[in-house]
Amino acid sequence: MISENKGNKKARYGMSIDVDRCTGCGGCMVACASENNVAPANPGANDRKGLTWIRVFKVDNGQEYPNKRSVFVPMMCQQCGEETPCYLACPQQAVDVDPSTGIVGQMPERCLGCRYCMAACPYHARYFNWWDPVWPAGMEKTMNPDVAPRMRGVVEKCNFCHGRWHAARQKAAASGNRVLDPADYVPACVEACPTGAIRFGDLSDASTEVARNSKTPDSFRMLEKLGTEPKIYYMSKRQWVKEIAEAPKLTPQKEPARG
Amino acid sequence: MDKDFIARGMQRCSTGKFLLWLFPWVALLIFGVYSAALCLIKGLNQTNMDNRFAFGAWIFLDLTVIALGAGAFFTGFLLYILKMKELKAVINSAVVIGFVCYSGAVVVLAVDVGQPLRAWFTFWYPNVHSMLTEVTFCISCYLMVLLIEYIPIVLKNRKLREIPSMLVFEHELHKLIYVLAAVGTFLSFFHQGSLGGLYGVLRGRPFAFREHLGIWPSTFFLFILSAAAVGPSFILLTTWLVEKISRKKLVPPEALRLLGRVSGMLLSVYVLLKCVDTLIWMNRTSMVRGFVPAQYYAFEPFGEWVLFAELVLFGIVPAAILLVPKLREKTGWLVSAAAMACCGVALNRFVQTIQTMALPTLSFDKFLMYTPSWQEIGAFLMVVAYGVLVYSFSFRYFELFPQERQLRIESAAAKPQHETAVGGR
Amino acid sequence: METNRRDLLKLAGGAAVGIVFTPVPWRLITDAALWSENWPGTPQPAHGPLTARYTNCSLCPAGCAVRARCISNRPIGMAGVAGHPLSQGALCALGLAGHQAPYHPDRLKPASASAAPVAQAIAKGGVAVLDLRPGRTASWTYRRAMAAVKGLYVTAPQPLPFAYNLSAARTVLSIGAPLIDGWGTPGNVLRARAGFHLIQADSVESRSASLADTWLRINPGSEPALALGLAQILLQRKPKAVPAGMAEAAAQMTPARTADATALSEKEILDLADALFQNGPSVVVAGEAAPEAAALNALLGGWGQAVVARQEAPVPESWKTAAPATELASVPDGSIHTLLIDESAPGDYIPWGVIAKKLARGSSSVIVFSWSGTGYARHANLALPTAVFPEALDDLPAPADSPAAAFRLSAPLVEPPAGVVNPVEVIAKAAGIDASAALRERADAIHKTARGNLFRYADGVSTPVKDLKPEDFWNALNEGGCWIDTAQAGAPPLPKWVPSASAAGGADLAVTIVERRFAGAPGSPLMSKVYKESNLQLGPNRAALNPATAAGLGLADGARAALTTAAGSCEIEVILDPAVSPGALEVAAGPEVLDICGAFARAKVVRA
Repeated sequence: MISENKGNKKARYGMSIDVDRCTGCGGCMVACASENNVAPANPGANDRKGLTWIRVFKVDNGQEYPNKRSVFVPMMCQQCGEETPCYLACPQQAVDVDPSTGIVGQMPERCLGCRYCMAACPYHARYFNWWDPVWPAGMEKTMNPDVAPRMRGVVEKCNFCHGRWHAARQKAAASGNRVLDPADYVPACVEACPTGAIRFGDLSDASTEVARNSKTPDSFRMLEKLGTEPKIYYMSKRQWVKEIAEAPKLTPQKEPARG
Repeated sequence: MDKDFIARGMQRCSTGKFLLWLFPWVALLIFGVYSAALCLIKGLNQTNMDNRFAFGAWIFLDLTVIALGAGAFFTGFLLYILKMKELKAVINSAVVIGFVCYSGAVVVLAVDVGQPLRAWFTFWYPNVHSMLTEVTFCISCYLMVLLIEYIPIVLKNRKLREIPSMLVFEHELHKLIYVLAAVGTFLSFFHQGSLGGLYGVLRGRPFAFREHLGIWPSTFFLFILSAAAVGPSFILLTTWLVEKISRKKLVPPEALRLLGRVSGMLLSVYVLLKCVDTLIWMNRTSMVRGFVPAQYYAFEPFGEWVLFAELVLFGIVPAAILLVPKLREKTGWLVSAAAMACCGVALNRFVQTIQTMALPTLSFDKFLMYTPSWQEIGAFLMVVAYGVLVYSFSFRYFELFPQERQLRIESAAAKPQHETAVGGR
Repeated sequence: METNRRDLLKLAGGAAVGIVFTPVPWRLITDAALWSENWPGTPQPAHGPLTARYTNCSLCPAGCAVRARCISNRPIGMAGVAGHPLSQGALCALGLAGHQAPYHPDRLKPASASAAPVAQAIAKGGVAVLDLRPGRTASWTYRRAMAAVKGLYVTAPQPLPFAYNLSAARTVLSIGAPLIDGWGTPGNVLRARAGFHLIQADSVESRSASLADTWLRINPGSEPALALGLAQILLQRKPKAVPAGMAEAAAQMTPARTADATALSEKEILDLADALFQNGPSVVVAGEAAPEAAALNALLGGWGQAVVARQEAPVPESWKTAAPATELASVPDGSIHTLLIDESAPGDYIPWGVIAKKLARGSSSVIVFSWSGTGYARHANLALPTAVFPEALDDLPAPADSPAAAFRLSAPLVEPPAGVVNPVEVIAKAAGIDASAALRERADAIHKTARGNLFRYADGVSTPVKDLKPEDFWNALNEGGCWIDTAQAGAPPLPKWVPSASAAGGADLAVTIVERRFAGAPGSPLMSKVYKESNLQLGPNRAALNPATAAGLGLADGARAALTTAAGSCEIEVILDPAVSPGALEVAAGPEVLDICGAFARAKVVRA
């Protein structure tokens, strides 16, 4: 992967998610699963044993009606740029951080299934294949050939739709370009979002919308103080929403019932 | 009929009685193998672990078992390197316990991973940054060392000694014992530390994350120290237990007291450093990352009592008992303190593994609990049964306690006709 | 020289050491790794040429435009069509994985079931067709067929006589409608959302309530009371148009009584009326069974601007002799001998009890055309499997939030499996009419008016219809296009005042139905991501209760329980949610639940 990009400008892909615009429709979750060949739920699966590379949580301000306010927060791999916890945890290099894109990759074919990376991730963005993936008869015809399906016993997670990145690179290479066209590389959740709440692009390119969004005073990152330099920037105009990025509060918060 | 295999001068129970003793353990082993097979064949959906509770009972028990198994390396270290000759009385038993603990832990780990067939990838594509790589390398190597240390004990068996080449082999191996003890000690120190590092490096889990000294977090050193402290206690405890079950005097009381004294000294150093570490973690490490430590103890059932139990009840108290010579003299105090020390290290491993997983990291996370499934418990019981069986066979056919014969003659001389040969095994 | 055993051993040892320095062992190890990557049973998706194809999603009546990414012409991913005048490039979760709907395990398996009983039943007489998505060309065919055999064409309920123009509204009051959660055309609503102030009166914190500017928590079942109470206040401000009978109905509903019924304060109700009155144009969007709320629109400033007469795409003159549409409610009880239900194009799910009442006692039979085994097929004497999106050709009527008439096709992207039947073909043939080219005839009729524009999905270009040949118009519609009328819709006729069934009282829990989207269409198996593998949405047959209420009933989180109403009982899973009001019950829509919970139902929940 590294050698492929020799001589190219290094990108630092990231996202900005405007939580004030998220309607919690779940379109990103379904589009992601469809794009990345994530199998439908096993009959025994629940919200703790499922596979949702991107998961939308409903988070409230902890107050009672009429002061209660809720937002929807999509959570996926935050693509940590420094001290990447999962990358440092994996004993056999099944996790890599691509220096040319900044994307934290996961190689399920290399994965032993020890789940140490899951213990290491503060965002719970990694998912384990507790069952053999099963597609209902015929549904394999709708699978995306650009993404290899995973097997039981390995960990998987968001990789900013690596299949799409690869296709965009091939397209760029075919037309003799060394830099890929941003319009060709858009992750499935970004494409699916009906309100445009999720934006994607190169954070190192100041002209992109994400780079501008990441610098607004409304933007914040989840658990920024851990020092892992995540590349998903959330945005909200509301102060209480910005505070959900902090560590859990002293008093055990009321458990979010859904999400 | 198996009398020919039992060492001369040792008294062991009848074959029938021995088989009777084995029966429940074999049954347990079969149940355990069935549970483990379910996990291997049907997958880890047989467990109650989940995406948030990615590590469960197995990891906690593995860490505990390995800490307790540290008695093997540490006793070897005390005997061969620090030349504490009294410990010759327990060294063989310690090696068997170490072997049982480590091999058992490796078996459970093999069930715990999703793709056991790829376990060798760690050696092929090692990630030098990963604590788990360190653990895997050290445990594999140390298991090898323990196996080599175990072989001479087996070869000393009466029947095997009749084969001349075995005798030569055993003699040659014996020359190696100091090298093995040194290598084993190094490996063991290292991987106990790596196991501690496993959680201490988790930047994403501020409850477990600790300040680093060099490339290792403080838990690296605390795990070494705590394992070294309770290893001897566990040897003490098991030896006492074997004496009770077999109704025999196996080691001179001085050996046990020495184990207790070493354990007490190390435990007090450990508890002191653990307290310092906890204070640094509470006031600095955790705070810098925005996590107020009081919040960790705001979720039932993990109140502040956990910290109190770990540091005081199962730390300072047993250390104090073990350090007072008068109390050490009394077997009751000695054994209780050793048991408490063992509980302390188990609690520490529990906190490091289970509580870390249960606590929320994001502000909108739930506090989670999990109960192991029967398959998880079964797979662990398999290892317990395996350990008891290996130890039982070793005790019956090999000289685990070299001074047993001597002690029997002495006590027989003191109290003639009293002891009939009805050992538990 | 003699070779002895020692030499052989030496050779073997040397070879063993030597082989390490050859590539052989390393290659073997790498290959072994590759082998473990091919886990048995994991499908290998086939590669092929990548293309884009366009159609309209027909899983729900919104009919959003779809761009399907196809490999070898098989759709492998769905996305919206940017710039579309109605759906605005958006798709909901159901639509985003719509291409997987044919593979849902609940799909009716194509069997050897014959459609012959349909012809026999029609020949016998006393037949009725229940159309769940009226306004389609297929609906016209059913009407023509019923005219031919003197049968009944039934809908339930009739589409509203008016359409909303949300982009002209400045204030929107949603009384229990899932406004931001699947109402109308999601993309259109979301686009207009920036321009209006949203007040959501809802008994639960629905997604629309979460996202509204103001959420008013009202008692479950008090929706009609709130509408009436508002009407009472607004009537005093001398509105230009008042639906007949409304003044009399609202007279008794003083703010104090409204406050009592809804659990809002009098001030909140007066403030709400002020907000609607002063910050117009205002519209009221109602959820189920609140005709009062719909009629409220006439009292507000939006009549004729934000609320306009509903338009239907033109039809050929010859069709106009078709049978009229009869509302299910006005069909006499026990009068239908054979009921044909077209569930291939699902709309609002009507509780089975409501339909069953209309069937003749003893001798009636029900034939259902459906692709889902979970809907009316459960109650049918004969269930005939049909094609599902994206296998079938159908058209989609303009949704409630389209102020102009529209015509678009849901053109198939894949072949339907063998053994499925086409309900329109079967019914038309049995009635002896030829409707095989009905869609083309209608397209030609639209073309003949020379009105409106055609929006082509592939290039995003809008072309006036008058510049197109009929053939090109038809082809464009099939390849992904949407015709939108340019004729200005005027003010709708004043609606008649129709009071809704009054809310049931009693000590039982007041039921609020949420997630209606799941009711009609199971959709892709991947929908499990949003309600099974996460708790984002309430899954089918799950019910949320306030923890205090649940404790009183002895129910724990995750408990299985029986939900019992006056109409029957079904099994549910209990979820505790402090956001649900005490004494209320939030249930996800599903055929079993809807069969027993009509509007404003009250239910008992007992641990199973």
